[in-house]
Amino acid sequence: MNTVGLALVLLFLVCAAGVVLGIVVPARRVPPLVAWAGSAVAVLALWSSGAVLISGNEFSHPLWTIPSVGTLSILMDRVSAFFLLIAAVVILASSIFSATYMKRYAGRYSLAAFNAWYLVLCASIVWILIESDVFGFLLAWEAMSLSSYLLVNFEHQHQGTRQAGYLMLAMGEAGFIAVELVLVLLAVRAGSWQFSELKGAAIGLRPAILWVVFLLSFFGFGVKAGLVPVNAWLPRAHPAAPANVSAILSGVILNLGIYGIIRVDFQLVPVSTVGTGLVMLLTGTVSALVGILYATTESDLKGVLAHSSIENMGIVTLGLGASVIFVALGLPLLSGMALIAAFYHMLNHSFYKSLLFLGAGSVDEHAGTRDLDRLGGLMRVMPWTAGAFLVGALAISAVPPFNGFVSEWLTLQTLLRGVVIQSTPLRLVFALCGATLALTAALAVTCFVKAFAIGFLGLPRSEGAANAVEAHGTAIAPMALLAVLCIVLGVLPTYLIPALNRGLKPLIRRGSAQVLVPPFFTANAENGQLPAAFLHDFHNLGAQSGRTLLPGRGLVVLLRGREANPVVFAMSPAYALVALAILLLAGWFVVTRLTCGRSVVRRPLWAGGIPRLLPQMTYTATGFSNPVRVVFQAIFQPHITEDTRQTVAVHFRTAIHRQREEIHVVDRVFLRPVDAAVRRIAGFLAGMHNGRLNAYVTYALAFLLLMLLMFRAA
Amino acid sequence: MGVSPGRPVNTDFSSPDEAQLAAAICPVNAILAQGKSALVDPGKCVHCLRCRWGIPTPMNWDAGYEWARPSAGNGEGATFPASFSKSLHIMVVDAGDCGACLHEVKQLNNPLYNMHRLGFFFTATPRAADLLLVVGPVSENMRGALQKSWEAMPSTRRVMAVGSCAISGGVFGRSFMCAGGVGSVLPVNFEVPGNPPPPLAILHGLLMATGRKPATKSEPVAEGRS
Repeated sequence: MNTVGLALVLLFLVCAAGVVLGIVVPARRVPPLVAWAGSAVAVLALWSSGAVLISGNEFSHPLWTIPSVGTLSILMDRVSAFFLLIAAVVILASSIFSATYMKRYAGRYSLAAFNAWYLVLCASIVWILIESDVFGFLLAWEAMSLSSYLLVNFEHQHQGTRQAGYLMLAMGEAGFIAVELVLVLLAVRAGSWQFSELKGAAIGLRPAILWVVFLLSFFGFGVKAGLVPVNAWLPRAHPAAPANVSAILSGVILNLGIYGIIRVDFQLVPVSTVGTGLVMLLTGTVSALVGILYATTESDLKGVLAHSSIENMGIVTLGLGASVIFVALGLPLLSGMALIAAFYHMLNHSFYKSLLFLGAGSVDEHAGTRDLDRLGGLMRVMPWTAGAFLVGALAISAVPPFNGFVSEWLTLQTLLRGVVIQSTPLRLVFALCGATLALTAALAVTCFVKAFAIGFLGLPRSEGAANAVEAHGTAIAPMALLAVLCIVLGVLPTYLIPALNRGLKPLIRRGSAQVLVPPFFTANAENGQLPAAFLHDFHNLGAQSGRTLLPGRGLVVLLRGREANPVVFAMSPAYALVALAILLLAGWFVVTRLTCGRSVVRRPLWAGGIPRLLPQMTYTATGFSNPVRVVFQAIFQPHITEDTRQTVAVHFRTAIHRQREEIHVVDRVFLRPVDAAVRRIAGFLAGMHNGRLNAYVTYALAFLLLMLLMFRAA
Repeated sequence: MGVSPGRPVNTDFSSPDEAQLAAAICPVNAILAQGKSALVDPGKCVHCLRCRWGIPTPMNWDAGYEWARPSAGNGEGATFPASFSKSLHIMVVDAGDCGACLHEVKQLNNPLYNMHRLGFFFTATPRAADLLLVVGPVSENMRGALQKSWEAMPSTRRVMAVGSCAISGGVFGRSFMCAGGVGSVLPVNFEVPGNPPPPLAILHGLLMATGRKPATKSEPVAEGRS
């Protein structure tokens, strides 16, 4: 057993010790305990995953053999290590954040229970990612589902939280059953529980069965990944959980859904038909659009973030789907690009979404509300929180030089490369998905302009927002960490793309990163790494600046085309950042030079001469997003009831009560019909339970006969 | 009465009694008897016509409309520079007006008076305004708004008080709810007397403010009747 194994053993020991300690120590000591134990888990996970990613050596170890089940074993390959790395960073941030955040629950809720479920959740996340047999994987998955349900249900005194928790549990279990069906059936067919041996089990299955396997696993894991139409729980559960748990739910557990899809649909039973890829592509596109539409119209800050998680997971799935289609069409290079884009986006989403959730938690804690219509003016009282939130909002809006831009841009460019596909209908689908993605990106900007501007700028709309104070250092530090990561990932994609390619070697064709990041730093006219004319042109554009200072291949992401069109697409956030800084400085210099002789008189803002600008007069979140609500009325389908009470005469109405009710499109189209059907079937079957003993004896007899007949036939 | 209601002007009567009579019949104390002369303060006159029809010897009457004048305190040299002569943006503030002066101001925009042809434009925001045109005696509720409008204006800014209420408080006078004229709140540069002044008088005021018409000279005391 090497250091990786040692780190993992230590990790589980820390979790166990933390759970026990949480019960022993007094409640006021529990929040620091959560922070220390969680951080220790995160650091150990970082260490082990980092060791695997850097050395490139997989870590595997058989655990023990259970009679009639088989050998349980763990395996950390690069894919696991990559997911574990993301999880570790998010867990580190949210654990540090817990140190002060959890104090607000002291006395009302059991902190020891929180500590226990939190550490169990962390442990089960690690366990899922390193498990390499079906039995242990399903066990770990169930542990993760239950502990995350218990954490969502932590504020159980609110009825809404309890309902959200039940829905989460029910849908999670439904997805789990679908996944279990697939995995257990494959395991039975292979005669082994080991993932490595399951790979052969799918060979020879009929296409119809493969489709069933794909659909069950994709939508089964899709429940956790928040894909339309099985995501009804997500926008309810994520806002209901404490903020540090929301960060983990959005930053890690959604990724676990993607991890499951990757493991089953990319590795065990690789889907390689255009049809399956189209299902993924379209599911992703619809998720992205539906997610961002509801995020834009939502006015609960954490609700905005939860809906936007659906959008981001949609973009990731869209990338995965595009990659499957490209593989099926024999375009491995584009497939690799799509996968890189998808994983890059997943990584980015984990960082900025957990940052935003922590920011929202900080706001909730200090301003006493998450309702955007009651917030405002927090930039003045909580500058650090607001600054970190701004970085997160810019990143998620895909604005350069932040990380969201790089991955969304890569995804969009990959989709636009659909022009190389021969079949016209497929090309059209790619173009439409690209257009929808562009629309999604635009709506995301609207959404986060709203979230930041209404929440943090302007006038405070409530007492709480006016009297808020800056968050504690332990709450700001993790947000700052994530904000810095968001900027670094946004500025230096040329270092990350090759790293991603190396890390995901089993999945990605090796050459994709080499193609995406041309070696401008190492190429010269002699060594022929790049054509001389091409290199010359780009040298003049400045693509080789910094080659003596920086290591690596270059700072430009670029796809080269044929002779007629040498550059298909290109970008460089690093150079763009430098150019932006120079332009801003030059602009500032020019403006100050031009206005240096000018005297400035400062007067209060002109607001129509009213005595005082009241917060009620300013733009609200609801008002800001109303155009979107009106334009997309066909999707929202609001049900508006107007109740008019007339007292004097027909024309003198005194009271108008106007109510707008919206049922989420997924609920309307999917959840409610399913719910109604299940109820109908259950109602029909309930007739069997008539309470007569004779009837029950008859059922038993009939069942026995059925069994006898079946085994006789066998 | 045509385009103007007309107004009384300083009159020399044949006896001091007649002058006293004219002063006594004025409801707003706009007429001051001085020996045989009756002197009119146009900033107070409300065109009630009592001094024309209500006394045996009527006051002399001015049927014109060129009534605007620089204000006594800040009017000297307040004319806009020449660069404003082709485009002057006006913000109108209703500081407790009864509606009459505002109605006359509104007429400037119609095709009959058509102030745009002369380069005058209304604007809704003081940020873009050069001239603050105030109607009404400045009620307490509008005092703050008026001051804010003034503060929000960029420099090279002027104030024009339109109507006797804006000039002197008019029939409202000064009270706990009324400032009794714009002059007690802002430095007034130009005045357009009248209650209300006809649109042509306001146009005259605007032309005067931009230096395109000379200010009305203090009228000579008329010898005969008009």
